[in-house]
Amino acid sequence: MKDLIVVAPAFAVMPAAIGAAWAMSHISRSAIDGMTRQPEMGGQLFTAMLIGNALVEALVIYCLVIALMLAGKI
Amino acid sequence: MLPVGVQHAVPYIVIINFALVAAGLMVFGMIAGRNLQEGAPQGLQNFSEAIVEWLVGQARKMGDCRVNLVAPYLGTFFMLIIMSNLLAMLPIPLLRIPPTSFYSVTLGLALTAVFGNIVISTIHKGILPALKHLVWPNPIQLISEVSDVLSLSLRLFGNIGGEFMVSLLVARAAPVGIPLIVHALGLIAAVLQALVFTLLTSNFLASGLHHEEKKKKRRGEEVEQREEEACAATVAVEAA
Repeated sequence: MKDLIVVAPAFAVMPAAIGAAWAMSHISRSAIDGMTRQPEMGGQLFTAMLIGNALVEALVIYCLVIALMLAGKI
Repeated sequence: MLPVGVQHAVPYIVIINFALVAAGLMVFGMIAGRNLQEGAPQGLQNFSEAIVEWLVGQARKMGDCRVNLVAPYLGTFFMLIIMSNLLAMLPIPLLRIPPTSFYSVTLGLALTAVFGNIVISTIHKGILPALKHLVWPNPIQLISEVSDVLSLSLRLFGNIGGEFMVSLLVARAAPVGIPLIVHALGLIAAVLQALVFTLLTSNFLASGLHHEEKKKKRRGEEVEQREEEACAATVAVEAA
């Protein structure tokens, strides 16, 4: 049972990465939709998109840190 | 992960690299700030003016009069983080360890950002309103300050440290050609993370600064509306 820690980091990151990829695709698609409809809003939408992506990304990073801590225990 | 024999020296490498980045930025500032010309700037002055203009615009977006305080504050974070992220692109053995890929550095940066925000809002509003913002309307906002520190520091550390680790692993598995792709992707992450750190800091700062002003603005608008209505009424009376 203790050998499972070898694959634990992978399983820590995987679901978070899948969810974040979905969420980031959603954010980027909506932002690009808005930019094509209203190009003059492009700058503001891009900034908002970056901040949204960063907030989503943070959740994956938490999982990555946990995975790194697990990987240090191997 | 790191080259053999440097593990115990890592803290010193981090400090030296960070100090080198800071010194390089200071030298750059001194060189760029000498013999400024009016009119259409050229070369180095043009480049540095573009950065300064972007930062001043970012500070002005907050609707705040203290641009002289906020723009250098944001600019320090931006330049320091982007230059230390980009150290990973250098082909020099020990210099290419970016300081931001160690958690203590990013935690320090994030703590500086959050405490700096509190200090700037204290200068702007006075001590009591700034402290009141931390516990009013609910004391949970104190926890949100802590989580701001965590999210800022972990985001930067995870992105840059993870990218650095991946580039080391790839370089060990395939030493020729392939690391170029990883470095090209890392270039995007390095610039973007510095941008995101600056934008989030300015967002936190704006939310700290403008807690009170929205109410005042609304009251002001109400007063204006009443005055306009009164004016319209007098005009109507005069016409009658």
